[in-house]
Amino acid sequence: MSPAPSLPIQLVWLIPLYGFGGMVLSLPWASGWVKRNGPRPAAYLNLLVTLLAVLHGSLILREVLTIGPQHLEIPWFQAADLDLRIGFDLSLTNLAALELVTFMSLICQVFALGYLDKEWSLARFYALVGFFEGAMSGVVLSSNLFLSYFLLEMLTLSTYLLVGFWYAQPLVVTAARDAFLTKRVGDVLLLMGLVALSAWAGSLEFNDLYAWSAQADLSPLAATLLCLGLIAGPMGKCAQFPMHLWLDEAMEGPNPASILRNSAVVTCGALVLLKLMPLLRLSPVAIDVLLVVGTISALGGALVAIAQVDLKRAFSYSTTSYLGLVFLAIALQLPGVALLLLFAHGLAKALLFMSVGSVIATTNCQDITELGGLGRRMPATTGAYLVAAAGLTGLLPLGCFWCFGLMVERMAAMAPLFAGVVLLTNALTAFNLVRVYRQVFLDTPHPKTKRTPEVNWLMALPMVSLTVLVLLTPLVIGRIDPSPGIASFSWLTTGLVVASGASGVFVGALVPLDKFWSRSVVRPLRTLQDLLAYDFYTDRIYRATIVAFVAGLAQLTNAFDRVVVNGLVNRIGVGSLASAEALKLGVSGHLQTYVLTVVLAIVLLFSSLSWFRG
Amino acid sequence: MPVIPAELVHAGGQPSAADLEASLLAGRTLLADTPDNLLQVVDVLQSYGEVLDAYSINLIHQAEKQFLNPFPVFRFLDGDLSPGRIWRHLCHDRINYEYAEYCMKVMLWHGTGGLDAYLDSPAFQENCRAIIARKTRRDPLLAVLHPLFREFLPELIRAAATTHALGQFWRVMSDLFLDLARAEAAGEVRTIEGVVEFIKDALVAAAGLPITYAVEVAGERLWVLPPDAGLTFLVDVAVPYVEAVFLRGTPFLGTVSFNAQAQQISPDQSTFAYGALFADPLPTMGAGIPPSLLMQDMYRHLPARLHRWYDERTRGEGDVRVKICMSFQKAMFCVTNAAIRGTFPQPLTASEPAAREANRAHAAAWALRLSRARTDALDAEAEPPQA
Amino acid sequence: MLSILLLIPFLGTALLLLLPGDPPPGRMRAVAITVLSLQLLWSLRVLLAFDPGEGALQMVESLPWVDSIGLDYRLGIDGLSMPLVLVNAALTLVSAVCTRDISQRPRIYFALLLLISGAVNGAFLADNLLLFFLFYELELIPLWLLISIWGGADRAYAATKFLLFTAVSGVLILGAFLGLALFTGSVDFSLSPVLSDRLSMGSQLLLLGALLIGFGIKIPLVPFHTWLPDAHTQASTPVSVLLAGVLLKLGTYGLLRFGLGMFPEAWAVVAPWLAIWAAVSVLYGSLAAIAQRDMKRMVAFSSVGHMGYVLLAAASATPVSLLGAVFQMVSHGLISALLFLLVGIVYRKTGTRDLEVLRGLLNPERGLPFTGTLMILGVMASAGLPGMAGFISEFLVFRGSLPSYPLATLLCMVGSGLTAVYFLLLVNRAFFGRLAITPPTDPARDSRLDVRLAGVAPRETLTTLGLALGVVLLGLVPATLGHLSESTTALLAGLPSLVVASSGAGGLG
Repeated sequence: MSPAPSLPIQLVWLIPLYGFGGMVLSLPWASGWVKRNGPRPAAYLNLLVTLLAVLHGSLILREVLTIGPQHLEIPWFQAADLDLRIGFDLSLTNLAALELVTFMSLICQVFALGYLDKEWSLARFYALVGFFEGAMSGVVLSSNLFLSYFLLEMLTLSTYLLVGFWYAQPLVVTAARDAFLTKRVGDVLLLMGLVALSAWAGSLEFNDLYAWSAQADLSPLAATLLCLGLIAGPMGKCAQFPMHLWLDEAMEGPNPASILRNSAVVTCGALVLLKLMPLLRLSPVAIDVLLVVGTISALGGALVAIAQVDLKRAFSYSTTSYLGLVFLAIALQLPGVALLLLFAHGLAKALLFMSVGSVIATTNCQDITELGGLGRRMPATTGAYLVAAAGLTGLLPLGCFWCFGLMVERMAAMAPLFAGVVLLTNALTAFNLVRVYRQVFLDTPHPKTKRTPEVNWLMALPMVSLTVLVLLTPLVIGRIDPSPGIASFSWLTTGLVVASGASGVFVGALVPLDKFWSRSVVRPLRTLQDLLAYDFYTDRIYRATIVAFVAGLAQLTNAFDRVVVNGLVNRIGVGSLASAEALKLGVSGHLQTYVLTVVLAIVLLFSSLSWFRG
Repeated sequence: MPVIPAELVHAGGQPSAADLEASLLAGRTLLADTPDNLLQVVDVLQSYGEVLDAYSINLIHQAEKQFLNPFPVFRFLDGDLSPGRIWRHLCHDRINYEYAEYCMKVMLWHGTGGLDAYLDSPAFQENCRAIIARKTRRDPLLAVLHPLFREFLPELIRAAATTHALGQFWRVMSDLFLDLARAEAAGEVRTIEGVVEFIKDALVAAAGLPITYAVEVAGERLWVLPPDAGLTFLVDVAVPYVEAVFLRGTPFLGTVSFNAQAQQISPDQSTFAYGALFADPLPTMGAGIPPSLLMQDMYRHLPARLHRWYDERTRGEGDVRVKICMSFQKAMFCVTNAAIRGTFPQPLTASEPAAREANRAHAAAWALRLSRARTDALDAEAEPPQA
Repeated sequence: MLSILLLIPFLGTALLLLLPGDPPPGRMRAVAITVLSLQLLWSLRVLLAFDPGEGALQMVESLPWVDSIGLDYRLGIDGLSMPLVLVNAALTLVSAVCTRDISQRPRIYFALLLLISGAVNGAFLADNLLLFFLFYELELIPLWLLISIWGGADRAYAATKFLLFTAVSGVLILGAFLGLALFTGSVDFSLSPVLSDRLSMGSQLLLLGALLIGFGIKIPLVPFHTWLPDAHTQASTPVSVLLAGVLLKLGTYGLLRFGLGMFPEAWAVVAPWLAIWAAVSVLYGSLAAIAQRDMKRMVAFSSVGHMGYVLLAAASATPVSLLGAVFQMVSHGLISALLFLLVGIVYRKTGTRDLEVLRGLLNPERGLPFTGTLMILGVMASAGLPGMAGFISEFLVFRGSLPSYPLATLLCMVGSGLTAVYFLLLVNRAFFGRLAITPPTDPARDSRLDVRLAGVAPRETLTTLGLALGVVLLGLVPATLGHLSESTTALLAGLPSLVVASSGAGGLG
């Protein structure tokens, strides 16, 4: 028996509450209750509680490192055979993810103070970020599927609200709607899986589910549907094809939220999938689906990213692409590698988005073709971009290099095809990063980049700190996954990874760049360019299929309701009152009729009963 | 289609460019001359003057005392580090200096006029070299960064120069607006025409004021904008300011999508029309609307007379900052009006054809730009009292 | 103890009617609010005395009345009616509080409000079929008057439609009750299960069918729902609150108490069809809601969809699903009341509920930001987002029903997804974007519109805030309500399985 856990561990339930508490603390400013003073105290309070969450998390992490994983449960709702609990699994993985989430949240909040310095709705932003952070830290610690689902839905809600932060901007309106609905589709499917699991397996604790799945006796159809439902939720959260559209549109939201979304939120979604991974052995079909989705997302995302002219979108598609790789790793039962990749990607992508954010803040522009020549003026931003790019690609020995090495090494043994996908994605990503770098940071200054002083310290400081952290990633991931060591891959693999990265860099450095948003004159090339730039026309496909279907069905139902049901009722109503005039009778006339009917009914009732008894 | 009560919505008129041109040439004011308009313009300019005073002091403090400071944590405190001031700062019980910085950035980014031209001149680069040489001697971080990023420090110095120049510009404007309020209280200004003339005279009087800026680096005073650069108030700072802040502005995140594929923002900055004269007052205090900060600052310095006037209209205190924004827009049209008058190439009374043609071209150019602005602010329509 | 729950509102009605002179409407309102507060307090007093461990009726009060026809004055309360009595007390109070500026016959208006509340209490507490029916009918006339006197422009049509439908509903229910006496040959109108040793399956099915349609009209279930959207659109806000929040629950309550409770055998036979009916109702309501332009009609159709969950839960009749049914009744009561109140505020300020016309109401200074915030909360609760009452209700219903009727449950979950679609459309169209209350025409002209809506005073939002807090609290701490109702729902769920076990003829699919 291990000794009683210390106070920080017993109080672990506070960790999600820090974020939610931050939201509540922001309310006086967010609601406009405080009218004369500005909204900044809300930001400071949120920073404070987030700092508490980081510290609390690290205290627990230190303790768990010595005494081993812990588990805590609090009953929440119990009825008949249903037992819903709030459970936390304090494993090393979960805590590492918690530290990632809370630290990213902290650093983003500092960044946001600078990025949103002229934003009057700052308190609402911080309230939403607090909500976001609370839900995320709960998801990563959760030990049961119910709590995970509960918080994932809260994440969906807060994504909607954060994307919809600038609610008066027309594109934000559609973006927020699409983000919510896409995720909601995934969530409803996950809910179906959750309800089914709850009914079939009883307990929703992940550990109990693993045990149950080992000896579950399900029909193949049921098992497949169950597993598909379970992977649909994370698919929506991780913006995987075909549910990736929202991430593109979500770039309409404030950049600090984009930082979190592209690093921490997708990580949360993937972590839930990781926790569900052992259940997926119930259905080989679900594994195949994961592989297909992962492959399409990885390659499709990387290709679409290359064709983007929008600075934020060029990298949001790359998030889809990397999470596709994570899906592949999970489908191939490589949880360790998946985790490392999530971690390395999360940090580097956050840094990349910070760099992008400071470019946008300085130039008021997101169009890559209108940017140029920032490299010599903005050291923190340029440095952040370069380090993030190096951290994302497998060329220099930063985070993703080691992850790719491990992935390729393992995959080559069992499924060489997917090793190829990893290498190709690496090359395409490197190409994309180099192309954007050349256009934004090299080149001569364009009108919109003629005057570009470095960003203020509130943005620069978190950016530089994260730059250092990304440079240190290999050390950190070496500690998270000590066995068999992050360098346990062959020289051949190293060569392959480096070669793929280098080829991407090489081609990216040589390819001619568009000066202004221009399309190729060669017809097939132009078609391809448009196809990728408009994301395979996914939004149009959706509009022509699902949206049209639901809208059509709704119109049909409404028409049926008005014409058939209502029409029938009107006719019967008219008939029963003998004439149409009766419907137009005054109010008092009706009252009399009705009272008469009731009295008559009661008299009938009494007499019949008396007769019956007598 | 539902019937919306007329008192709930109101759409202002839109005078054509020809109408505006005719008004300008005839010496009529753009804004209708009504007692309500006069009260709004004078009082809102008074509160604006008080806010500009604070902005100006802070910008000059930043440019002089926080010059090339990598962590200007206390830059909004004007050098006053008393606990009370820090506490008020933490409670955000203060002027929103972020708006002043925003205006500076807009001016720097649009980069028009004499100041901007000087920032690209060899003389300025020479000044920078001297400052950087002195600065990097004591500062190892900058000493490492400067050779790697040669344009990094000059760009920051350009920003500082713009900051200081804007601070000087606002010093003049603040005094002007407060003088206007005093003149109106003393009964010297009684009409909108009087307001426009007052501002025009003050602008013309200040036109030749020199704009200079020196910093102290490691105990030595070095020029950034030396007197011999010959930068003056009106053409080198005021005109670029009007161009950048009144007319062009920057797109607000709260109303315009930055998405490159949506192509909502013109690639050519000179066609931007997001400035103060073009802005929609209705979303004030909403998300992603930077001028909300200014409206809040003016709200905190509102003269009692105007405050009472607002309290009697629409939602009273509930939407006071939107009403401030509407009044502010009227006031800015008056200031623009004065600026246009002050910059007519020939006196309006001139009769020779060449002079008339020059004036007509001047008025036509302005009228064309203003015809797309929010000219509905110019209507004489009286705000309906609260129901 | 329970009789006082009837006495307070009925005496209040009498007091209002007998109040001497011609008191101003404000005084009438104050009297009504006082009486309703007393009722709420007494309901809480009953709650304190309530023993949640006991599944059967408790605090029974009995008084022979018209013995010859089996009409006894018998009241009792259990875990099914307790929450509903509380909801009734709370929502009637809310609708009295949110009644403002009533100029036309305030005396009658508030008297009717109290009368309805008392009658609803009576129906929830009645432990005798005929007594239930009397109260059930007693509540109809006041409601009909409320719609037809204080309603919108097209109120005569809506009120007539309401009257016709509910009259049929009443006749069917009465017919079923009388038929029971007729078939069994005894005038025992107490609430006890009627099993096949007393009544043949054919007769049971016949009676149950009459009850199903009778209560199905009230709930309402497709295709008997068409009175509801019309009634809601024509009714004033307080009446809509009452109608959606309380009166629809009479239908589901009747279904559980009399359908499932009295004919468990026949129930087990028809249950698979009921599950399908529920799914159809849910999908139909949700799809029709998507196509609505009128905010109030949209919320009304959402009621059609969401009450379908209760039927699904009742069809499955497992302990979890029935608990879910109670949860759904309470949470739908709170959420739909909240939504109707908010739509009412929007309508009062802008003069329209048209989604093609309203835009940007979240505008902080000139719009209705607080109303908009609560609206987002309300629609999210209605869409079943966790942390609010809708989620736990739906989860319990789905969890309890999935093993018995997987297909119907999955379809109902699709309906839950569709809820998000239409309510998101509502929020995005009416509350996001630039503020405007005119049909979008020319964007340049639109951007020059100066919109001057009256502000929303804090007192106008007090009730909505209270309801919103209730929705969140129930969503975060559902164990309170679960504790209250679990014994009763378990007992109720035991009925069909008992029957199945004893008769050996399983009807469960």
